[in-house]
Amino acid sequence: MSDSVDLRAIEHFLYDEANLLDNPDLDRWIELYSEDGSYWMPVIPNQPDPLNHVSIFYDDRVMMEVRRRNFVHPRAASKDHSVRASHIIGNVRCSGRNQQGDLVVTSNFQCVLYYRREQRLYAGTYLHHLIATDNSFKIRHKKVQLINCDAPHKSLTIYL
Amino acid sequence: MIHTFDPTSPPIDDAALAALIQPTKLHRSVYIDEQIFELEMARIWGQAWIFIGHESQVKNHGDFYTTHINHRVPVILVRDRSGAVHVLHNRCAHKGAKLVDTVDGNARAFRCCYHGWTFNTDGTLLKIPNEAGYEGTGFDPKDPQNNLQKVRSASYRGFVFATLSDTIVELNEWLGGAAEVFDNLCDRAPEGEVEVAGGVLRYQHDCNWKLFLENLNDTMHPMVTHQSVVQAAEDYIATLPPEASSQRAEAEIIPPFGASYENFEDSGITGFAYGHHYDGGKTSIHANYSVNPDYWAAMVASYGEQRSREILAFNTHNTLYYPSLTIKSAVQNIRVVRPIAVDKCIIETWSFRLKGAPDEMLQRTLLYSRLINSSASMVGPDDLEAYSRIQDGLQSTGSDWVEMHRHYNRDKQLADRTVGGGTSDLDMRTQYQAWQAYMGKLAHHIPTGGDSDE
Repeated sequence: MSDSVDLRAIEHFLYDEANLLDNPDLDRWIELYSEDGSYWMPVIPNQPDPLNHVSIFYDDRVMMEVRRRNFVHPRAASKDHSVRASHIIGNVRCSGRNQQGDLVVTSNFQCVLYYRREQRLYAGTYLHHLIATDNSFKIRHKKVQLINCDAPHKSLTIYL
Repeated sequence: MIHTFDPTSPPIDDAALAALIQPTKLHRSVYIDEQIFELEMARIWGQAWIFIGHESQVKNHGDFYTTHINHRVPVILVRDRSGAVHVLHNRCAHKGAKLVDTVDGNARAFRCCYHGWTFNTDGTLLKIPNEAGYEGTGFDPKDPQNNLQKVRSASYRGFVFATLSDTIVELNEWLGGAAEVFDNLCDRAPEGEVEVAGGVLRYQHDCNWKLFLENLNDTMHPMVTHQSVVQAAEDYIATLPPEASSQRAEAEIIPPFGASYENFEDSGITGFAYGHHYDGGKTSIHANYSVNPDYWAAMVASYGEQRSREILAFNTHNTLYYPSLTIKSAVQNIRVVRPIAVDKCIIETWSFRLKGAPDEMLQRTLLYSRLINSSASMVGPDDLEAYSRIQDGLQSTGSDWVEMHRHYNRDKQLADRTVGGGTSDLDMRTQYQAWQAYMGKLAHHIPTGGDSDE
């Protein structure tokens, strides 16, 4: 890990991102992503890629823009129920930079989510590829590895 | 949550069961009564051919895949040393332990975790530890009862079905004319075969299993239920330069869910014996997908141009093989239904590679599965919201009936099938004629669907 990496700043950035998902504000959340940014939730452990294997989520900016509009659409019945989440992030580590020069950050998360009169618990590992900007970061890639990725899932109407 | 309709009611007799299904309406108890659910598991899921898996999931000797036939009966799909594929009861012949408790894998033999009884991959008993203790006890290790018991099974173009019934007709007869959609799925492969690829999505549905089936050819809902995602996609696509949006397969996949009533009417519905049906044929919401040029070249090389056109022109939307499997030949994915309880089922989405087709074809199939059938998609959750609300709403005592009148008396009876307009409730009537026949234990004679109340 490079000495010049400010782990504290990275942690704050991850908390801010999580906060935008806790009380969902997808308009501002999407702005955290680079133009070529992507969000991936694999359906198996160690899934090699999102194109030759099915995934729970794999959105680029275009699909994020569609999802953002759908999320607040008055006729999206599954969104009649508000979704509230509480993320806890820990074990934040930066393993250096990848070939693109992005910071490679892993963390553990737990997310308690309330939806359709029911409370659920999600847990797993985040992988962020972050582009350092003047005073913050942009997310080029976020991978959400759920510990129960291959279990049957209920409807999930929000990014974790 | 317990959804017992009336726990004090006496066991339902066959006449009362039959009265729950009228030509144009259904009694709400078929969705919410636990006793009826258990009868369905015995009489529908215990008699019909149930989809187990695809032969490509067990390519090599010892490859296995485990599932359930209904909500309880555990089975193993396995390829034996000779290459034959079996469906075996997943129960040790000794004390009854489930023999295999992983979803899939490879085994030279199946060894029970409790006393080490070991079985060959064709189910025959291989070895009992310390066997001397059985000498002179009347126990015969050669007695077939000491093998893993075979479930009656058969396959159609690699799709393996099994049945707990000894008397139901053979698989080919049971599939009837509806087998043409399996043919179309496989014929879309330049090599004439498909194989499972790219993993499975498992989606828990908190609703009765029949509500999922009834939605498959319900063409009166997409423009309502999926209005939001269609508008969200179209609104955003409109902001993109045409050269950007034309590159997006999503732009071909999502908007047709908002097709007009007229479009869906034109697609038509076709019903068959045993409750099977499909919508589309001449056209469907998948009909205007662009054709990958490398794929087209491979098809023409295999089949010639005219036959290739015929194969791709047969364009169905959803085909139901009642009650456990629905396939999309034009998309190359399937969904497998497994009831869990009266108000709970699991829907699995599997994708298929067209053998001999370029990788982009599988990638589009996987994109479709994720975009439409994932638990985190913008389509499936709005469907499930409707099913869950039906499950809740039918607890109301305001009415006992669910209606299915659309196009009643307009369905047209052909030799082996019934056809009607695409917005007909013909699919519902087809399913419930089969329901009534299975539940009346008349599975040897299930008529072609339609509006006759035979």
